[in-house]
Amino acid sequence: MDKDPKISNFQLRALIITTIIGTGILSLPNSVARELNNDGWIAILISGLISISVVVLLNKLTRLYPRKTYFEFGKEIIPAPLFNIISIITIAYFLVILAFEVRIFAEVMRAYLLEVTPTEFIIITMLLVTVYIARSDISTLGRMAVMIVPLIIIVTVIIVFAVLPKIDFTNVLPLLRIDLKALPKAIFPTVFSYIGYEIIFVAMASVDEPNKSLGYCVRGIIFVMAIYLLTFFITLSEFGIHELKRQVWPSITLMREVDLPGFFIENIDAIIMALWILVIFGTMGPIMYASGVALSKVFNTKKHDFFILPLVPIIYLLSLIPENLSKTYMYAGKTLNYFAIFATFIFPLGLYIISLLKRKGKGGKA
Amino acid sequence: MPDEILVSKNLEENIDTIKDILKDCDDIVYRDFKAGIEQKLSLAIVYTDGLIDKDLISSFALEPLMIYAREVEPNPKSFKNNLFELITKGNIAVSEIKEVDTINEAVEAILVGETALLIDKYDKIVILSSRGWPTRSINEPQTETVIRGPRDGFTETLKFNTTLIRRRIRDPKLKLKNFQVGRRSKTDVALMYIEDIANEKILNEVKERIQKVDVDAITDSSILEYFIEDNYLSPFPQIENTERPDSVAASLYEGRIAIVVDNSPFVLVVPATMGSLLQSSEDYYSRWPIASIARLVRYVSALIAVLAPSLYVAITSFHPGLLPTQLAYYVAASRANVPFPAIVEAFLMEITIELLREAGTRISGPIGTTIGIVGGLIIGQAAVDAGIVSPLMIIIVAVTTIASFGLPSYEFASGLRFYRFLIMIFSAIVGLYGVVLGLILMLTQLAKLTSFGVPFTAPYSGLGIKEGELKDVVVRVPIQWMRRRPAFTMPKDKKRMK
Repeated sequence: MDKDPKISNFQLRALIITTIIGTGILSLPNSVARELNNDGWIAILISGLISISVVVLLNKLTRLYPRKTYFEFGKEIIPAPLFNIISIITIAYFLVILAFEVRIFAEVMRAYLLEVTPTEFIIITMLLVTVYIARSDISTLGRMAVMIVPLIIIVTVIIVFAVLPKIDFTNVLPLLRIDLKALPKAIFPTVFSYIGYEIIFVAMASVDEPNKSLGYCVRGIIFVMAIYLLTFFITLSEFGIHELKRQVWPSITLMREVDLPGFFIENIDAIIMALWILVIFGTMGPIMYASGVALSKVFNTKKHDFFILPLVPIIYLLSLIPENLSKTYMYAGKTLNYFAIFATFIFPLGLYIISLLKRKGKGGKA
Repeated sequence: MPDEILVSKNLEENIDTIKDILKDCDDIVYRDFKAGIEQKLSLAIVYTDGLIDKDLISSFALEPLMIYAREVEPNPKSFKNNLFELITKGNIAVSEIKEVDTINEAVEAILVGETALLIDKYDKIVILSSRGWPTRSINEPQTETVIRGPRDGFTETLKFNTTLIRRRIRDPKLKLKNFQVGRRSKTDVALMYIEDIANEKILNEVKERIQKVDVDAITDSSILEYFIEDNYLSPFPQIENTERPDSVAASLYEGRIAIVVDNSPFVLVVPATMGSLLQSSEDYYSRWPIASIARLVRYVSALIAVLAPSLYVAITSFHPGLLPTQLAYYVAASRANVPFPAIVEAFLMEITIELLREAGTRISGPIGTTIGIVGGLIIGQAAVDAGIVSPLMIIIVAVTTIASFGLPSYEFASGLRFYRFLIMIFSAIVGLYGVVLGLILMLTQLAKLTSFGVPFTAPYSGLGIKEGELKDVVVRVPIQWMRRRPAFTMPKDKKRMK
């Protein structure tokens, strides 16, 4: 029996999808609409394409060093102490993502499901439940992801079909009046809604057929892009641009408007919220796992599980720094985007170039 | 057991040694007798009373030796070397015979139900196969009854069980490996598999784990199950058990491995997955649309078994707005007289049902039915009248219990029951959020589980999903469409139909 856990490409794709789709989808239609009005979809599309190119880079880089995670082979490319700094920055980035996700999650829960429960309680319970899966291995995460993806599809399908009769497609118009100056400003935060593909850092090491993985990774992002575009168009058609700009979480408002005729449950939104908890869990589990693995590589330990629980208080404190919701988004916008650029693009790109040069040098000698 | 004691040439000495080892075992029978014309050759047989077929020994071993053997030349010197051959080939008409060198082996054989034949001046003991103990005949299984399909079930005798399986697979590739497990109980365990289908890695792992088991007794296959499964702390079973030979045969054809344990009518089948635990052999004997609906109903019942009471608690005490307005009024009205919070109500009824279940299984038959009626009908009605619980709660608890019995695997349903209680507690604290938290814990546990390295959640979680495995898990498509064996067993021969 194979002692080290493996995942299939199919599971890798599911992992990428569930890790990316999280809290971002709630606010995305609003944030792109504010910058680009009716043409917000262009930002979603372009940032999707940017993410695809980053994923291609990460995929190529990790495939250069089969069976090793990013946090292991990085030490082979550049001196270990230097790489440990990169690792620690990446871990900090992961922790900020987790803190942000769990905070937004708690805020949503308080706003729609549990009006009186303290935020702290929601945060700590969610983190503890996530610890359970983050302590296990990558194959468990892969399996869980495959089981969560259908939920995303089901939720989307329910919403689309329930909203379809009511929506007004003329709200989508006018199309293509792009404000080119606003475009970069809109793309910047939108790219941030695609973060989560960093799971490739650790997951690729366990993929059973890494050579075929590129297509799966790209298709994973395309799937997410499709879901995002669908959400944008549905919310836009339902609310119209002016109302959309005022909604903090248009996707949730949309759910609340869904009314299934003759259904046993009056308000389907609570059920969808409940399923959405699983989707958030699908984001947090892999990232928490990845931070554990990264830490274990920094400290050169074989196991990662005992690093997970100590992360909880750190994430908890980080998540409670912003006083309110808008501050949360503000702080996240200030930190996460820069972190993301360094941790998922500049560092890997640098490493990729260095390792290619090294290989070339070796090839020249041989 | 003490060190190996070699058989000596002196009959008396050997008998004394055996008697010494089996001291105070009054069910051991010693019978010494003489053979040959001059009655010079002394022999003895030793066996366990009740474990042997007495007719067989007296008419095919004692009679030839005591009566017909008089014609044999009684000179031990001349047939010193071929006495064994003479007796075994010439005199004893027992089909299986072997020869052992140590007293220990002989004692072991005696306890198994063989008969030991001791011959004076001969340093070997002859073991005559004579097993024949009271057995239960082959009956219809008690737990997995079907409307259409074979009605024979396993019994407590290993040999019967392996025969029932062998009868269904007339293939020389069906292999049977014997093991003995248990330092004291020395329970026979037989491993059955079809050599060119079953995956070797899984097979070797099974063998290795069975050999590693170090315990003094295996009283039932469940004990062995707990020793060899991947995660013994989990509330969910990772090994399937069945009383039905046809189901075992079908599993063997899928490339799985059967573990038959003596003294247990439950045969273990590995690897098991959630999908296979939710399949019943009758699914394949009834028409596919009906079987498919039955499968879907089973998934619904699994969901109900886990979630129904906790959803009730969550909705009535946290999110009454979820219900349609009229129902919400009714629920509120029916709960108006109940002094307890929903969680207390739910636990009260769940505990009552658990008590009924316990009482019902301990006392089966007519009294069990009475308990069911008294408990289910009378207590339920009275509890509502007394204002302890609301009528809705009775419905929820009853449906939950029926749903959990609707699952083919009792062990799996018990695992779900464990999480039902956990989720109920969570739901009482934070409503729907708690329900989902509990669900996440359960899903994580399920995703973590493996059965001999095979993911327990296959094919839902990836393995085999691309091969379209869900067609025999979520529904049951026509047999003609299942051309491949399931992927989770990682079979060597992948195709059923060419």
